Amino acid sequence: MNIHPGEFVIGAMMAAFAVLGLVMAANALDLEIEIFGLSLLAFSVLFIVGQIRRHFDGEEAKARVGAQTGTAYHG
Amino acid sequence: MADIAADDFAILPVGRINARPLAIDYNEAIVRKSVIACVFWGLVAFTVGVYLALELTFPVLNFGLEFLNFGRLRPVHTSAAIFAFGGSALIGSAFHVVQRTCRTRLFGDTALADFVFWGYQFFIVMAALSYVMGFSKSREYAEPEWHIDLWLTIVWVAFAVIFIGTLLKRTEPHIYVANWFYVAFILTIAILHIGNNLGVPVSFFGAKSYSLFSGPQDALIQWWYGHNAVGFFLTAGFLGMMYYFIPKAANRPVYSYRLSVVHFWSLIFIYVWAGPHHLHYTALPDWTQTLGMAFSIMLWMPSWGGMINGLMTLSGAWDKLRTDPGLRFSVTAVAFYGMSTFEGPVMSVREVNALSHYTDWTIGHVHSGALGWVAFIVFGMLYYLVPVIWHRSKIYSVRLISWHYWIATLGIVLYITSMWVAGIMQGLMWRSYDAHGFLQYSFVETVQALHPLFLIRTLGGVCFLFGAILMAYNFWMTVHDKSTEPTGA
Repeated sequence: MNIHPGEFVIGAMMAAFAVLGLVMAANALDLEIEIFGLSLLAFSVLFIVGQIRRHFDGEEAKARVGAQTGTAYHG
Repeated sequence: MADIAADDFAILPVGRINARPLAIDYNEAIVRKSVIACVFWGLVAFTVGVYLALELTFPVLNFGLEFLNFGRLRPVHTSAAIFAFGGSALIGSAFHVVQRTCRTRLFGDTALADFVFWGYQFFIVMAALSYVMGFSKSREYAEPEWHIDLWLTIVWVAFAVIFIGTLLKRTEPHIYVANWFYVAFILTIAILHIGNNLGVPVSFFGAKSYSLFSGPQDALIQWWYGHNAVGFFLTAGFLGMMYYFIPKAANRPVYSYRLSVVHFWSLIFIYVWAGPHHLHYTALPDWTQTLGMAFSIMLWMPSWGGMINGLMTLSGAWDKLRTDPGLRFSVTAVAFYGMSTFEGPVMSVREVNALSHYTDWTIGHVHSGALGWVAFIVFGMLYYLVPVIWHRSKIYSVRLISWHYWIATLGIVLYITSMWVAGIMQGLMWRSYDAHGFLQYSFVETVQALHPLFLIRTLGGVCFLFGAILMAYNFWMTVHDKSTEPTGA
């Protein structure tokens, strides 16, 4: 698995933001925080899904092209 | 996507050219995303602006709906124009310029850059939603409440880490001057954003917060932020853009590299002191107002130094203005930069301010800077950048760029001239007394007098919006049409 360490750090950070969003939405005293919390949760989850998708896209591209040319794929 | 940056030598100062072409795997995806966001938010900002102009002309157009009233939509317009349209352009161009001039891929790889891009878009959407729902800190250009401010702080720190990290891992010995302006923009905006938004939330689970400052101190902090948001977001960042993209489009080196360095240091030193000119005739101490006024006058020198440097870069290449309307946008932007940075210090003089403040003259001044300088330098940058980062042979239609240029210029002229007349008339009507010492005009009479000028302003906005739609169509076709495919591809 060829994963840049930054991917792990950002992924972990986004997971923490997702939990934070959930906590904020659950305890919200007004509509603004409720919407912000739920949006933060959705945004963070989607971001992580995007990271996973990009990783496997990269692996597939590397298998197709990178193996022949020897160059790294960065998307 | 691998690319060769050999053509970047054109921007390096004479004597520092170091021909060493390398195939570098630049992160162009992030630049492409930023360009798309910039065009999208530009259309949103101009559309909301036109709607607001119509609403001011025909107040019935708010339809009695609270989320459509001017007070809520105004920050949507300003934030969309400054932070969404301008911010996306700045982030995208900063990432492009720092990679090309440092000959290295962005620090932190894809995930961090993606976090900055998507995190910033998330901030914009959350802020806009918050405004229409009626949540606001009531601080001009810093309306979002504490939780959105904190989110922006995290995103901005990540942006700074990428930019400075990329500078540190550069393979070029020299840091090109555009990067200095981008660094000043990133670091100063971080300081301004944190300083201005220091506050105490009522609860971690509630949106309401109170500023850490009060009274005149609060006003001074607000305008220290507000004026320097103009200085470092809308000026320094876009000057970085100017110093890279004008030499690139003109294929000429910067007129004077020494002048660009003098321009940089004098601008950043002087700008930070000018904020108090927004608070003439208030409870702010008199000496502070005078200080702000004096430093505003001093700003003429660096501003015009930068303008001259930008314009003179065209020396020997003025003929390109006939054939390259994209470059024409950039050069006209620099001319507007000169004009609006001349007008600003004039308006900061206390006696002039007595007439201009609170009138539509200020609105005209802001838009000559926002439309003439900021939007035009962005359009020039985009017309250069889109074929480059989508790897197309050329822009789809040069004729459409020309149409965009003239329609947008007409729009600006209509906008700023109507607002000059409106503002001066407003100021004079407010200060008119009759023979008995009573005010000659009621407030509503001044509003009635402004009506035709508001209509002309709306027409100017419509022209500007229409030009931007032409640009978006031109970009779409540039990316998708067969006629722009690279030859030999």
